[in-house]
Amino acid sequence: MTVDYVDAGEAVDQGILNYKTPGGDVAPPVVSDVTYERILNAREEPQNWLTYYGAYNGQRYSPLDQINTENVKRLRPEWIFQAGTTGLIAGASTYSFEAAPIVVDGVMFVAGWDGWVWALDAKTGVEIWRYKHAIPFDVSLCCGNVNRGVAVAQGKVFFVTANAHVLALDATNGKRVWDKTYGDVRAGESATVAPLVVKNMVIVGSSGGEFGVRGHLDAFDIESGEHVWRCYMVPKPGEPGSETWPSDGEAWARGGANCWLTGTFDPETNLLYVGTGNPAPDFDGEVREGDNLYTDSIVAVDVDSGQIRWHYQCTPHDVWDYDSIAECILFEQDDRKLLGHFDKNGYFFVVDRTNGELAQITPFVDRITWGAITRDGQVTAKVYPEKEGEPVHFYPGPAGAKEWTHAAYSPKTGLFYVPVQDTGATATRRRREFKESIPYWGAGVQVDIEDMAGSISAFDGNGEEKWRYRNELPMCASALATGGDLVFAGKPSGEFVALDARSGEQLWQFQCGSGHHSSPTTYSVDGRQYIAVPVGWGAWAEGFLPGMLGAGHGSALIVFALPESS
Amino acid sequence: MTTAQERADLLSKIGLDVQNKAAIGRVLGTGSIGQATERADGRMEAQIRIPPDELSFDPSILVMPHGGDIELELINDDLNTHCALLPSNGDRKFIWLVNHSRGRATLNLDGPGCYYYSSPTGNDEGRGLTGAIVVLGEVPPEARLDRPAQPRP
Repeated sequence: MTVDYVDAGEAVDQGILNYKTPGGDVAPPVVSDVTYERILNAREEPQNWLTYYGAYNGQRYSPLDQINTENVKRLRPEWIFQAGTTGLIAGASTYSFEAAPIVVDGVMFVAGWDGWVWALDAKTGVEIWRYKHAIPFDVSLCCGNVNRGVAVAQGKVFFVTANAHVLALDATNGKRVWDKTYGDVRAGESATVAPLVVKNMVIVGSSGGEFGVRGHLDAFDIESGEHVWRCYMVPKPGEPGSETWPSDGEAWARGGANCWLTGTFDPETNLLYVGTGNPAPDFDGEVREGDNLYTDSIVAVDVDSGQIRWHYQCTPHDVWDYDSIAECILFEQDDRKLLGHFDKNGYFFVVDRTNGELAQITPFVDRITWGAITRDGQVTAKVYPEKEGEPVHFYPGPAGAKEWTHAAYSPKTGLFYVPVQDTGATATRRRREFKESIPYWGAGVQVDIEDMAGSISAFDGNGEEKWRYRNELPMCASALATGGDLVFAGKPSGEFVALDARSGEQLWQFQCGSGHHSSPTTYSVDGRQYIAVPVGWGAWAEGFLPGMLGAGHGSALIVFALPESS
Repeated sequence: MTTAQERADLLSKIGLDVQNKAAIGRVLGTGSIGQATERADGRMEAQIRIPPDELSFDPSILVMPHGGDIELELINDDLNTHCALLPSNGDRKFIWLVNHSRGRATLNLDGPGCYYYSSPTGNDEGRGLTGAIVVLGEVPPEARLDRPAQPRP
C-alpha cells in the first residue's frame, strides 16, 4: 500500500527561526539620507561612524570624549553579539571578524566571514536583520575567510563576498538590491575589502595576491550597480610602467598589486590614495626582473576617471611579500597636504599627497634586515631568497612590521598610533610554474614562533617616536584614537586596552576571551558613548603570528560603555 | 590505476559507504551523483531523497550546469526525522523533514563552485547527511581579468 508523504512545505529563511518582536526585523531608514556630503563631513556627526576609517582621511579618530583618561577605568561590556558559525565553510580554521562596525543613528552594520552581514541595534546588540551570501566551499581564500566590513549610502549597505561579488542591500531589511561579479574565482580572485562610497560610486578592489592575479580597483554606480571604471594596478605591455616588467613573457599578467584594503580620499585633490599588494610570485623575483610597478605602491587614482595620477613605490622589486596596502592617513603639517603610511617593510613614509614627493621616511620597528631605505628614499636590498633551495632569514617577516590592521592619528595630539609587529621569517626560494587558482609563492616560508615582540608606538609627523607601549607579542589589530585622549588597541592574547594618548600609559584593560585582528570603532546613541570591538582569532595567523595558531578561536562583537549611573 | 567503479567497489568492500560497518557513519561524499534539469526559462530543478537507514542525501552530489535559481524537491523516505539547511543567496534555507515527508526549497546560487549543506540535528551531524551542490561554469565575461589565457592545473 502506498502511503502519501507528509507535506513538509517550503524551506524558509533560517533568520526567521531567530525570534524577533513584531516589526523588529526592519531597521529605521537611517541610511536613506546618508549622502556623499554627509560622508565628506563625517566627523561633524561624531555619534556616527559613517565610513570605514570614520572619515575619508583615514585617521580612525573620533572626537567623542565622554570616555576619557579619567573615567576609562570604569569602562565595562554593555552587550555582546555572538554569531559563531555552523556547517562546512571554506577556511573553517580561518574565519574571524576583521570588520570595522559602521553606525548610523543607532543602527550598526557589520560584516562577518563567509558572506554574513548583520544590522544590529547599536544600543542593545539585538539583531534586526541578517544577509547571508552563499559562498562556495572551494573558493580561493586570500587570505582566510574574512571580510573587512561594509559601506553605507543612499539607503543601501554595500559589501563584497569571498567569491568576488559586490552587493547592494536595502539597509532597512537586508534584501538584495543589486549584485555584480567583479572577479574571477577560477583565476584565484576573491574579495575582502570594505567598500568606499565616493560621490555616486562604490569603490572596491581585488584580493588574490598569493594566486598570481592582476590586481585592480573598480567603481560601480551606487544606484544601478553599473560598472563605472576599472583601474588595473599592473600595466599591460606598452602602457606607462610596463618597462618595469620583463619585456618577454607574461609576468605582468600574473603580477599582483591587488587593492585589498580600503583607500582614503581627498576631495580637494579629487584623488583616491590606494595601497597596492605584493608582486607575484611573492618570493621569486628572478621571473619578474624590474621594479614591478605598481606593486607595493601608494597609488593616487583620479576618482572620476579611474586613472593613475602618481605613485610612490615603497618596495621596488619586492621579494619579501611586503604589500603596501596599509592605509594612507591624510594630515596637514607646515602648510603641506601630506599622507602618512606605515609600510610592511618597516618604514614610515610621509608623502606630499598632491604630487607623490617623499617628505620624510623613518623606520618604525627595531629589526629591519631585508634591506635599507635612506632618508631620500633610496632602497638597497640586502637579504632575500635569491638562490634556489637556500634558506634566508629576514626581518620583518611577510606579515610586515605592521600588517593590514590600521594605525590611527589624533589631530588633537598630532600623533600617529601604530600597531607594530617585530617578527622575522625564513624563506627558501622554490620555483614553480604558474597555474590559475594554485598558490604562487615561489618559496617555502616559515614565520618565527619565538623571539618576537610588539608595541603600540606613537610617532609625530616628522617620524619622531614619542612613546612606545610594549607588548610581549606582536600587535595585530587596528588602533582607535578618540577625543578623550585615549588610544584603544587589542592584543593577540585577548586583552583590549586603553592607553593615554599622550604618554602611552595603560589605563584599562578587558580580557575578551579571544585574540584581536579587526578594527574597533566608537559611536554614541542618546548621548552615551560606546566602543565596538569585533573579536576573534583566525585569518592567516600562520603568516602574522604562528606562535598563536593554537589559541582559541572566538567570534564575538563586544561593545563597551561607561555605567549609566556614576 | 583505480577507476571510478573500482573505487566504488573498494568503498563497498571495506564498508565505508554504509552506516556502522567500517566506520560508525559513512564517509562523506561516497554517495551518488546527479544532475539538475534545466527548464526552457533557465531555472533548474532536481529531486533529493533520504533513503531508509542510509543517513545520506541521494544524490549526495548534485550538479547544476550554471549559477541561478534551482527548485528542489526534498523527500525523506527514512523512518526517522531529519532536516536540511541549504545554501542560498540572501539567507540559508531551512526545512524540517519528518519521517516519510516531502518538501520544497528554492535556492539561488552563484557559480562556479561547490556548496555543502547538511541536516544539522544532533543525531545526524557527522554520520553522512552532508551533501554537496556543485555549480558549473565560468564567471561572466566582464568579471574576467584582461590578460592572455593562463594555464590551469
